[in-house]
Amino acid sequence: MRAQAGMKLLTHNLLSSHVRGVGPRGFPLRIQATEIRVSPVDFNPDFVTRMIPKMEWAALVEAAESLGHLSELPRQLEEGYEKDEDFLRKVHHVLLEVEVVEGTLQCPESGRVFPISRGIPNMLLSDEEAAS
Amino acid sequence: MSALAPEERPPSLRDPPSPLPAGARYFCTVGRGLEPFLMREIRARLAVTQVEYVSGKVFFTTNSGLTMLKQLKSAERLFLLLKRQPPLIISSRSKGKVFNEIQRLVTGDPMCWVRAVSIWRSLELEENLPPEVAKPSKRKTGENENIVTKKLKIEQTLAMPGDAECQLEKQNSDKMEEHKDLTTEKENFQEEKSENDGEKEVEHHQGKLTFRVSCRCSGTIAKTFTTEEVGRVIGIALIKQFGWKADLRNPSLEIFIHLNDIYSVVGIPVFRLPLASRAYIKVAGLRSTIAWTMASLAEINVGAVVLDPMCGLGTILLEAAKEWPNASYLGADVSDSQLLGAFDNLKSAGLMDRIELFKFCVTELPLLSQSVDVIISDVPFGKKFKLGKDIKSVLHEMERVLCVGGTIVLLLSEDLHKYLQDYKESNITWNSRC
Repeated sequence: MRAQAGMKLLTHNLLSSHVRGVGPRGFPLRIQATEIRVSPVDFNPDFVTRMIPKMEWAALVEAAESLGHLSELPRQLEEGYEKDEDFLRKVHHVLLEVEVVEGTLQCPESGRVFPISRGIPNMLLSDEEAAS
Repeated sequence: MSALAPEERPPSLRDPPSPLPAGARYFCTVGRGLEPFLMREIRARLAVTQVEYVSGKVFFTTNSGLTMLKQLKSAERLFLLLKRQPPLIISSRSKGKVFNEIQRLVTGDPMCWVRAVSIWRSLELEENLPPEVAKPSKRKTGENENIVTKKLKIEQTLAMPGDAECQLEKQNSDKMEEHKDLTTEKENFQEEKSENDGEKEVEHHQGKLTFRVSCRCSGTIAKTFTTEEVGRVIGIALIKQFGWKADLRNPSLEIFIHLNDIYSVVGIPVFRLPLASRAYIKVAGLRSTIAWTMASLAEINVGAVVLDPMCGLGTILLEAAKEWPNASYLGADVSDSQLLGAFDNLKSAGLMDRIELFKFCVTELPLLSQSVDVIISDVPFGKKFKLGKDIKSVLHEMERVLCVGGTIVLLLSEDLHKYLQDYKESNITWNSRC
């Protein structure tokens, strides 16, 4: 059994910096990975099909590329992808099978760095940093 | 209620044929207040008839096999029903007369016992082939849950008002239960050793039947009789009637008797471990039955993003991910030790692929607005969160990250609940369904 898990790109695509004053410019977080893990996950086309509309596609492509796992993912989403199993499998790989075990996430606006340690990103803000 | 995972549909197609085509009558013990949820679950998972309930117990008839019965997630324990009758009349009668009535539970209808034992035997056979692999974690689960659950009882007595009674009852027969739990661990170890000797188990059952009586008394009867006294009367009656042998340490058959002001119920536990004790949860935080029920209310569809922003040891996420695996689960906590415990749990359950952990605070969710479909959480009771500003920030953040049409399921104390009712009334914008 695997000892470590990591942050997946699917989840990274939902994360946004909550530093005070940053607002929507806190997305997407820039990934710097020192340890990446690739591990197989069961492919479920239904799951992938439903996830795609929830993703910010450009950010996903950028993140995958920064990890060196672009894996032939097209930069633009094309119509009719629901029926393209080949395409769905590529998306599946990028969303679920590439994990950041060690590294950092950086807020593009404030520069604040959030560490990822043993697969768990620490995004706790201090009282001064917090938006409220 | 959302459909149970596709794997759970038509029982007839998936279930190996039951040895009891006509079916048998069972009952489950269940936490007070969870009865409607258990009934709903039973109807969804099994082909059942004659479903009814009294406080803390749900009765039903089904011919579904053990594999399906074992799936029940909102029940505490499963029993084969032996007897259910009106409560014993205690007042203004001599102790001796009441003892006679207790005895008559056995002697009044011996065939009922014979039939029940023969049904139980065929169920045991069904359970023993193929031989079950009893994992080492099973032992630990029983032990840990007992300890953790007790801690929770002390801390969260405000949690579910209905639950308090159930807990009180448990304390009445605590000694019996503890003893049973310890010996259950031992039994599991022996089961492991002889897992390849499924046949040996069968032989053991065909031979002389050994039994133990577990008693729970509450209400009027508990004022006059101890559980030990009642258990002894039944035990002696059984020995005299059927020639069985009593064995407190490792009986083949357990008899469960519950006497209170509402009913007298006798049953035989179907499995050695309670259903509520999950093989896949190493250390339980929130009670597994409640965690599962909360998840079942949340309507988790395929491809849903599910968040528990105060996940603690991750119990809710574990229950949800087990039942509805085709969703994306995120758990967060501010405590390192809780996150470590959650990580441990995920690892033991083999759910590291489905559930991701984060360190962040529920009042500052580092998530895009409207990015989460479901939020399920057990809100800490008054210690960490002060009513007022904190709870307002919590709700505000939850609502912000929730998609339109999303669902929030929260477990609250009475105080928090009342506070939220007032808050909701004064808050005009309430977009999502909560």
